[in-house]
Amino acid sequence: MSKSSNVVLLIDDEPKIRRFLRAGFEMHGFSVLEAESATDGLKAAMFSAPDLVILDLALPDLHGKEVLERLRSWSNVPVIILSVVSSEEEKVRLLRAGADDYVVKPFGMAELLARSDAALRRYFKSETENPVVTAGPLSIDLVSRMVLLNDRPISLTRKEYRLLHILATHVGLVVTHDQLLKEIWTGNQRDNIQYLRILVRKLRQKIETDPNDPRLLVTESGVGYRLKTRLETSAEDEKALPDPS
Amino acid sequence: MVGVVSAVLFWLDQATAVDLVPIAYLLPVVIAATQWGIWPATVASIASVAAADFLFFPPIYSFELDNPHEVIDLLLFLVVALVSSNLASRLRQEAERLRRREQEMQHLYEFSRRLAACFSVADLISAIQNYLSYALGQQALFLAAKSDGHLELSDSGPLPPAVHQSVASMVANGDMTSCNIVDEATYHCWVLEAVRSQTAVLGVVAVNIGDGTHEALESRKHRVKDILEETSLTFQRLDLARAMEDARLHLQAQLLQDAFHGMLAHELYSPLAAIRGSASVLDSIPMIQSDDRTRSLVEAISDQAAHLGGFIHNILNATRVTAGGISPRLEWADPRDVVKAAITARGRRLTAHKLVVAFSENLPLINVDSGLVEEAFGQLLENAAKYSPSGSTISIDARAEHGSVVLSIADQGVGITPDERRHLGRRSFRSQRHQATIPGAGLGFWIASTFVKTNGGTIDISSPGRGKGTTACITLPGSCVEASELADLSDE
Repeated sequence: MSKSSNVVLLIDDEPKIRRFLRAGFEMHGFSVLEAESATDGLKAAMFSAPDLVILDLALPDLHGKEVLERLRSWSNVPVIILSVVSSEEEKVRLLRAGADDYVVKPFGMAELLARSDAALRRYFKSETENPVVTAGPLSIDLVSRMVLLNDRPISLTRKEYRLLHILATHVGLVVTHDQLLKEIWTGNQRDNIQYLRILVRKLRQKIETDPNDPRLLVTESGVGYRLKTRLETSAEDEKALPDPS
Repeated sequence: MVGVVSAVLFWLDQATAVDLVPIAYLLPVVIAATQWGIWPATVASIASVAAADFLFFPPIYSFELDNPHEVIDLLLFLVVALVSSNLASRLRQEAERLRRREQEMQHLYEFSRRLAACFSVADLISAIQNYLSYALGQQALFLAAKSDGHLELSDSGPLPPAVHQSVASMVANGDMTSCNIVDEATYHCWVLEAVRSQTAVLGVVAVNIGDGTHEALESRKHRVKDILEETSLTFQRLDLARAMEDARLHLQAQLLQDAFHGMLAHELYSPLAAIRGSASVLDSIPMIQSDDRTRSLVEAISDQAAHLGGFIHNILNATRVTAGGISPRLEWADPRDVVKAAITARGRRLTAHKLVVAFSENLPLINVDSGLVEEAFGQLLENAAKYSPSGSTISIDARAEHGSVVLSIADQGVGITPDERRHLGRRSFRSQRHQATIPGAGLGFWIASTFVKTNGGTIDISSPGRGKGTTACITLPGSCVEASELADLSDE
């Protein structure tokens, strides 16, 4: 993190949710601001310039998507959505509207912190300007296009590398199918998600220990793919918080 | 009356009287016929002829006749009087019959109105009994059929032992044709008739039709039959009405249930999110982590919250199904991803079992709503874990079969009996033998099969029998393009 203390703005009408979010974020070294309505949240976002916004979708005065759109009209601050119902369509819509990622309630704090860190890392990327992305045993040099797995170089086809590159620039964050298809293929092939599925299969063969049980390049059903920052089992993912940086 | 007519005619002068005689004497005949029937009318006819002969035809005050054509006149009059009395009395009978019929109809109408207000068998019984007693003016008893095949006498009067015996034999033989019994103590005749609706025999009516001539008894028996026929029509209508009412109530209950589920899920999710989130924050505190007791407590909170979350999730899914709100968003998906996601989502509930996962090479893609199939697969996985002992193996397998993709889950659990298999897929079905031992709401398989169906697939459950494990297979149409072929195309 570039700053000693990142400011996170929590926009959620449930006091109990805000309470545990505050505890979790403060323990992780964040300064916390709270807002219990969309109006308050937008005001706080404007005047306090937070580094990260956690936005609940079900607010009493305005729908989360509307808040997101207004926020995006003047700010690039990373936004992570909290949603109750896991509707893939809605997730995709929100990601398109400019959300950086989402978590579905009920969620563990570790999951949210991992997403937050990833979103912040991407937000401050230009300042750190480190061309090497690491994801568990994998390291991707975005400049030299060198991909190392357990410190050993692996060779990827042009499209495999392209896929990995896009995921690496969003490491820890979800990337939608649409985005991947548009950036990797051209013409009619852009609409064929089957190509993407098979390409992912091929890439997994090369980077995953067990391609049938992927731990690095994971699927977000109905939404897209995510390159994890580190190797985690799903159980650990729920439990342990990453160390405060 | 004949006398009155005679006196009036006698008072008129002779010539006029003789002319009026045939017409005037018809009056008492017709009146007698319409008022009292054929026999009084016949008597009146003969009396009229006698009076006319005696009083008006010469020689007067004698029954002898001088003029032969007066004999013919009188004979003709007699014929006309008899014929018209016959006609008039028939008219009277007809009118009487109509009046009675109208009364019966009125009774029946009232009866069916009473039937319509009946909400229980007891109401029905008393309505039928009252009606029969009232319409026939005789004692009528209803013996209601019970579900165990016995007949129960309603408490409105004693039944002669002979009648009781023959009712018992009717039931014993299952022979519901009507019969007559004579009660030897009173010499009253009883008629036994079965009362049925479209679907079932409701009971037996025993009617005391009294004593009397064979004809009288026959006619009363016919009336009983007629009335019961009418009532059975009413019963048929009642059956239909009851079925409609049941359906309406059922629908209302369903709607209420759905609304309840929707609200429940929403109201429970928020606190649950706070519990689970708070537990996860606690879990990261070093002080709690370092103490085994506090750590296990926090773990218990997390586990239970996850369990509750899964339960609410199921209810939400069920609500989606009944609300008709599933419109699958089809997208090409990798079956491996679907299986993996389902296993990950149910991770906590599968920890007690050994999972063996096998995918065949070059699995075709499937065009499905991966969220729904994931749910369905997860539900089947959960069932496999629930109905098999801890530590046993659950084998998960994904393979291609004739252009389809088959995802199968095989457990080493309680298995399924052929009888249970028939009920599978019904909402809220749970087998008797698990109800006390394994918690659940019977929603899992129902949700799974609905979700798979909306994706154009099928679920097949097979089991070699009780205690021998169960295999659940989801079959989904696969992509017709070979995976290897796609691989080349995708990376050009």
